[in-house]
Amino acid sequence: VSCRATRARLSAYLDRDLPPLEAQRVAAHLAGCAGCVGRFRSLQRAVELLGELPLVENSESIASRVLDRLELESRGPGLALLFRPIGSARPLILPSLIPAALVLVTILVGALALDHKGTSAWERGWGTEADPVFPSGGVSAPRIRERGPADDVLAGMGEGTLFLETVVARDGSVSNVTLLAGDSRTALPLLEALRKDRFEPGRFAGRPVAVSVYRLISRMDVWARIT
Amino acid sequence: VSKVTPIEVAMAEMALRSGEVLVSASTSERGLVELCQRGDAQAFARLVALHEGMVLNLAARLLGDLEEARDLSQDVFLQVYRTLGGFEGRSSLKTWIYRIVVNQCRNRRRFFRRRRKDRSLTLDELKPKDAAKLATEEAHEGSPFEQVSRIERAERVQKALLQLSFEHRAILLLREVEALSCEQISAALAIPGGTVKSRLARARESLRRILVSGLEGGRA
Repeated sequence: VSCRATRARLSAYLDRDLPPLEAQRVAAHLAGCAGCVGRFRSLQRAVELLGELPLVENSESIASRVLDRLELESRGPGLALLFRPIGSARPLILPSLIPAALVLVTILVGALALDHKGTSAWERGWGTEADPVFPSGGVSAPRIRERGPADDVLAGMGEGTLFLETVVARDGSVSNVTLLAGDSRTALPLLEALRKDRFEPGRFAGRPVAVSVYRLISRMDVWARIT
Repeated sequence: VSKVTPIEVAMAEMALRSGEVLVSASTSERGLVELCQRGDAQAFARLVALHEGMVLNLAARLLGDLEEARDLSQDVFLQVYRTLGGFEGRSSLKTWIYRIVVNQCRNRRRFFRRRRKDRSLTLDELKPKDAAKLATEEAHEGSPFEQVSRIERAERVQKALLQLSFEHRAILLLREVEALSCEQISAALAIPGGTVKSRLARARESLRRILVSGLEGGRA
């Protein structure tokens, strides 16, 4: 038997797994071949060394860890859902989220833009003396608190009609009176008198705002017929 | 359900390690499996306690990393728990568990190899009492293998094992460390009996060559 054929059978020979005749041939070759004997001994030793490997230390109970994990899973779908990989459980969830996300983004962007506009309009001076607002559902009308000499001035005036715009400032004073229609010469004392009126200012969302008020003042002397 | 004392568990482990069949009214394998299949948590705890030593040992030697092996051992028993219903008893429970260990190690190795920092089993991972015992048993005679302590020898063998291919490492550990027969290995690795013998011969030769070249390299 050649060295090569012997070496191919060394593993089976070691396990006593060869038919008797083959085993005898291998034994006979080994008896006369130092190289193959060396090979056989090192193979035998390698196998023995594997068997001598010490047991790995088992410092903690795997059983208790496994039971803990099983208990965690058996607590119902509440926790299990948390640990479940979403993609594999519901493969369509990501594609279906895309339109939802787009709608959400659109709404958010719109809301932010509107909010931004509102804020800036307020900051730009909406409701200030330079840009007064008109009384409406959200804006309360100013109420008179203290009358100036306007009534006295009116009493001394002749017949006529005046159309006026009065701006009531945020502090309740009259910041501006403009004559829109009527005789400006006769109206002048009245305009001065109206500036001295004091108001409870108009408010928007609790904040005082400058409000523009239009007034039509008509004076007519009525003479009783003499009978 | 009768309780199993630590001594019984230890005895059962020894019996399983030496390849003997464990026959006892309280711990018979079939009865235990049936209890587990009916959802008996205590029975499953016993089943894990009986096999965790061998699972951890095989996983640690296959992966070369004790922490990874501990983690994997838990996954192995979770898989055992989930698939025990389909266990028909055609192979022994032990062989079936070995198969799960080898498959999980094979799968995990792919992820593991990328992040591994050349860790392998070291001295401190042996039981302290074993280390002390082994240190006193140093032999200084015979071949070069005998000229180093048993601890060093074990380290060299583990390093040599990790240089082998996974399939060679698995077959050597099942045969020489876990002492499985060729038929059991055939069932555990799902390969024909003839392949077991030829692969075993190649694996032994590869290990022999690595150990011999390591020693020659070490002496040079």
